[in-house]
Amino acid sequence: MTATIKMESVSDSVLDVLLAVSRVANQESEWRPALDKIVRHIRSLFIFDNLVIYLPEAESSALEVAYARVIGRGRSSSGDISWGEAVATQVFGLGEKFLQQPPAGASESDRLSQPYLLGLPLKLEKETIGAVVFIRFGGPEYNETNLRLASFFAEVVTHLIVRQRLKGSQEKLEAQQQQVRLQEDFISTISHELLTPLGFIKGYTTTLLRPDTSWDESNRREFLTIIDEETDRLQELIDNLLDSARLQSGSLRIEFQPVRLDAVLKDVVLRARAHHKGLHAVLDLGEVMPIQGDPRRLSQVFENLIGNAVKYAPGSPVIITLSTEEHRVHLTFRDHGPGIPPQYVPHLFERFFRNPEQPPGVRGSGLGLFICRQIIEAHHGEITAESALGEGTTFHIYLPFVQPQAI
Amino acid sequence: MATRILIVDDEPLYIRLLQINLLTEGYEVITATNGEDALEAITTKSPDLVILDVMMPRLDGITTCERIRQFSNLPIIMLTAKGEEQDRVQGLNVGADDYIVKPFSATELLARVRAVLRRAQTTRESAQERYFEHGNLKIDFARAEVWRDGRPVYLSATEYRLLIHFAHHIGQVITAEQLLVAIWGEQYREDKEILWVSIARLRQKLEDNPHQPVHIVTRSGLGYQMPIFEKENA
Repeated sequence: MTATIKMESVSDSVLDVLLAVSRVANQESEWRPALDKIVRHIRSLFIFDNLVIYLPEAESSALEVAYARVIGRGRSSSGDISWGEAVATQVFGLGEKFLQQPPAGASESDRLSQPYLLGLPLKLEKETIGAVVFIRFGGPEYNETNLRLASFFAEVVTHLIVRQRLKGSQEKLEAQQQQVRLQEDFISTISHELLTPLGFIKGYTTTLLRPDTSWDESNRREFLTIIDEETDRLQELIDNLLDSARLQSGSLRIEFQPVRLDAVLKDVVLRARAHHKGLHAVLDLGEVMPIQGDPRRLSQVFENLIGNAVKYAPGSPVIITLSTEEHRVHLTFRDHGPGIPPQYVPHLFERFFRNPEQPPGVRGSGLGLFICRQIIEAHHGEITAESALGEGTTFHIYLPFVQPQAI
Repeated sequence: MATRILIVDDEPLYIRLLQINLLTEGYEVITATNGEDALEAITTKSPDLVILDVMMPRLDGITTCERIRQFSNLPIIMLTAKGEEQDRVQGLNVGADDYIVKPFSATELLARVRAVLRRAQTTRESAQERYFEHGNLKIDFARAEVWRDGRPVYLSATEYRLLIHFAHHIGQVITAEQLLVAIWGEQYREDKEILWVSIARLRQKLEDNPHQPVHIVTRSGLGYQMPIFEKENA
């Protein structure tokens, strides 16, 4: 046997099998179904009856059966035939191939009592990851060609198993990384949101304090107004962060009392007009009986929705309706702004979620709507959003008249 | 003529803050709200100093700074947020002269501006050009674009870096090793084949006859060179 192979000496049928095995290995991502196919191909070149793959347990590293097939003789009496555990243990321990002949004196007539075992390590680089055992009942002995095919098979199996494991750990890592990324996004959003107003306050204050310059009245008013507004913004963000933390820990108190929603809404709009110059709010408030709720918390929700409309739908009127629907109250907050891409609408109420396609420069923490939903749910109500690009966004709130525990 | 300062920031309140303070010092102020506009303003209005915010939509501050450095040594001060040490290091690495961390005080800002301008006066060489021409070839450093006979040529990032390395060292013979280390990094020092393939591909895209190159020529036994064209040949 020389190193150079004469082309005519390689039979086409062998090449066909090798190619078929390689193709299965290439295309199947799960090693067990891949093996079912590969075993069929290999067996056309190399006869064996049983095939068993042993892999170590994660903790004890004791060998466990990971794959076993009875292909030939022995199908009928699979319970008490040889499965080659001892050979597998030896092969796995030494990392080397092992051949075992049938015990001497076994009955010549019973093939099942004359197993010929061939054990091979599943090796990747220097590491042994498991063992494969071929079992042939009643001979003949494994020849040199069988041994080489078995080695080829063992290497293919090793690659399939390792590839599937790597894929599993990659998916796990990606999921963890996603978690970390969310956390980092949050930290970077929050630090940006906190630092931006702080930067303006520091910048404009030190501008006013410059010893070498005296500012005229209009400049002074301009700077002080900016400082004032940025202080409010900081306050709002800190309130939101605290509320969000209280909601997370379940310590946000909701104090129920009879509430007239029309009065609360009018009050909120009045304050919002003072805060957002240019707010055009249209109120369509039906006759609605008082409900049980926390007026301070409900105001917070309404302020947030109006504030969002001003921020994300600038120039659009905000239409607020209040009506009775079956046994509950229905409120809507509608704007004619640019709308939200449909794929983001289901996530609007998630903590820290922000529409990633938002125009830059629009500030927000991803906390407002999360807090709204928590407050409405604490009232046993429901808040939903619908949006159409180019048409606008509507938030619906449904609240029961009576709180369940108060019935 | 008054010293002209370009402010680049996407937050109008920061632009206003910088502007109002710089104006009292007698500087002339121009503004841009993103990196692309900033690059235009640099070539059309030739400011003496740029104050560049790192966090910006469309072309962030780091990339903008990198692009400016390919054709100009104009002083640049980066505006970075506290805690983003990475940005500061990156900014200095791509050629910023100094950085200011937000939040900052008005007096700190003015002191930094004065210091950077003072340093720039003593070290500043003649400004380079935004455009580089070599025969029928034209490079726009600000947009990172290459034109051949007035038509755009699409280069990979590596090909572009290779080309501008030649442009920045026009006339010099550069060894294969120098090119490999400069463009690919130290671990590629010996990897001559990757350079050969890249040079061949670059010639396919840039040369009228890739077998008789005029832009990037081989100096046998020495290396490669972008030759200086005599005026009459150009």
